[in-house]
Amino acid sequence: MKELIKSLVEAFGPSGSEDRVRDLIAAEVGKVAREVRTDALGNLIATVGSKGAGGRRVMLAAHMDEIGIVVSHIDAKGFVRFGGVGGVFRLALIGSRVRFADGRIGVIGSEQKRVEGDLPRLDQLFIDVGAKDRDSAPVKVGDVACFDRPFVDLGGRLVAKAMDDRIGCAVLVQVLKELGETPHEVHFVFTVQEEVGLRGAQTSAYGIDAELAIAVDVTTTGDTPEARTMAVSLGSGPAVKVKDRGMLSHPGVRRWLVETAEREGIPYQLEVLEAGTTDAAVMQTTRAGVPAGVLSIPTRYVHTPSEMVDYEDVLGAVRLLVAALRGPAEIG
Amino acid sequence: MKVAEFLKRITEASGVSGAEGEVGTIVAETFRTLADEVRSDVMGNVIALKRGEGLPSGEHPRVMLAGHMDEIGLMVTKVEDGFLRFTTVGGFDVRTLLGQEVLVHGRRPLRGVIGCRPPHVLTPAENERVVPLQELFIDVGYEEEPLRELVRVGDFVTVRREQIELAGGRLAAKALDDRAAVAAIGFCLDLLKKRRHQWDVCAVATVQEEVGLRGAITSAFGVAPHLGIAIDVTFGSQYGVPEYETVEMGGGPPIGLGPNFHPKVHERLVETAKALEIPYQIDPIPGRSGTDAWAIQVTREGIPTALLSIPLRYMHTPVETVDVRDIERTGHLMAEFICGLDETFASELGVQVRRLNGQGGPTCC
Repeated sequence: MKELIKSLVEAFGPSGSEDRVRDLIAAEVGKVAREVRTDALGNLIATVGSKGAGGRRVMLAAHMDEIGIVVSHIDAKGFVRFGGVGGVFRLALIGSRVRFADGRIGVIGSEQKRVEGDLPRLDQLFIDVGAKDRDSAPVKVGDVACFDRPFVDLGGRLVAKAMDDRIGCAVLVQVLKELGETPHEVHFVFTVQEEVGLRGAQTSAYGIDAELAIAVDVTTTGDTPEARTMAVSLGSGPAVKVKDRGMLSHPGVRRWLVETAEREGIPYQLEVLEAGTTDAAVMQTTRAGVPAGVLSIPTRYVHTPSEMVDYEDVLGAVRLLVAALRGPAEIG
Repeated sequence: MKVAEFLKRITEASGVSGAEGEVGTIVAETFRTLADEVRSDVMGNVIALKRGEGLPSGEHPRVMLAGHMDEIGLMVTKVEDGFLRFTTVGGFDVRTLLGQEVLVHGRRPLRGVIGCRPPHVLTPAENERVVPLQELFIDVGYEEEPLRELVRVGDFVTVRREQIELAGGRLAAKALDDRAAVAAIGFCLDLLKKRRHQWDVCAVATVQEEVGLRGAITSAFGVAPHLGIAIDVTFGSQYGVPEYETVEMGGGPPIGLGPNFHPKVHERLVETAKALEIPYQIDPIPGRSGTDAWAIQVTREGIPTALLSIPLRYMHTPVETVDVRDIERTGHLMAEFICGLDETFASELGVQVRRLNGQGGPTCC
């Protein structure tokens, strides 16, 4: 599974430009799924199984897009000004490299004339693409770029850009491959534009009209030095979400995931996230309401070029979802 | 219906956003005595249908009444050295948390207190500031070991508070935002039992309003009403808040005016109040109303929406205060408005009164 993770996290795919990630995933799921299609917004939907006794129409979602930057202006000397695509932290940008769709690299510099010690504003940062002037700049206004950072396997822990949420995509691909018999009609949805407002999930959830919905996404942890209080740590198992800024999980879905983990002996944690949200927030409020929950992969340094996950947590998430989906969904 | 009695039962019940089961059961039980059918949906919204006689054409347009039954509360984020760390669910006024008595909804309910360091050990600077949420903790009396058995991350916590009657027809309680509106809806349904009305009434006690109008989003889609009225609380006149930011306590329901509200519905509510000499106030809201009305209005192909408010003091604290007469007047105004809904008004609003067939259609009615 590490090979799959490596290929997914290293792929280029800021919000709105997810096609390469989609191609990679489509190639993986094409042979296994009953049907694979791409909807109008670009969500990739792979379907397996059909509703049997106790079965439901299930939507699983992981987002393909990652945060990035978009070129807004190129000055006479060839320096590139940019805006953020999704929640880009200035602190994570300084000294970073970005990669454009054609593979070109730019480095992020900052204006030196500013208040000493202050964090530069986004408009005080620029990208140097190695151009001598505007005409020789190899990029144009509107081009998008993602962080440039290779995947690293530290043994038990994996580090890369875009773990948020390619790790979720990898989990779903693996679940699809391992699932086999299921009483449910399961739609694996690889969503677009999560980082800019859960937009792919909003439309795909409406289209699928699911009876049960689960998002697989990253969550932050409270296990680093002087971290904010949060009882989630790397290596303690996938996290079953109770609450984040955008949703309160359906109690029945939460219980079903917890009971499955306990029955299968899979370590798990309960998660209360005080910032951020996932695709499940809009899946839950689709149409007349959908029972929705989230299985999270604990991740350190979210929205930086070095997001870190624990491989055992990832494998645990796959096992938990496979075990849950092989049986009926007892969500009360 | 005795408003104060019903209110006492529902304000003292627990029902933090996302865990409205306990209060929802009481509301459903009461609505069952006042309406023809009661059900709850996936999110936990309690939806009561009171059938009207129908238009002469045989159609049954629906008016949705929405008051949220969730209350702001707390949630455990960590069990730490025998104490519970927590966060807020909805916009709890953190200044008011110190020294509160709480109920922790663990494997079994546990009473607890929100403690702090004694004033004697604080520096003058520390004494001056509001204790931030990160420094607050709940003490239920147990040491670490039994505590971990009984309480888990994600358990809900409610502030405990008995409803009390103040002088002059006023009440103080927790969760009057927005159970005062649920009581007004109950009062309205009770009045309608003795009245004739053509439109169907779908009374909804919504969930998860305090965390983003989420119950209204889904219930409005499910009910698919032809007209929506949200009932919520607004700032009642009080010491220390400028007059222009408040409405009069005991002055009757403020009727929302602004882009969130259909002008014809607003006008009809005002006319109805005038005709029956029900005290009312005008509540201009220039944009986002922050109430269920905001979600209802843009549901499906759009719904003519109105807002009635109940003046309330000390919002988002455990001592929210209302005037019972304002609740009764709100219920009374709604009942009279509903009795006046007919075919002409439906066509004035331009609503397409049609049956929604098959999947996604109104399951309430």
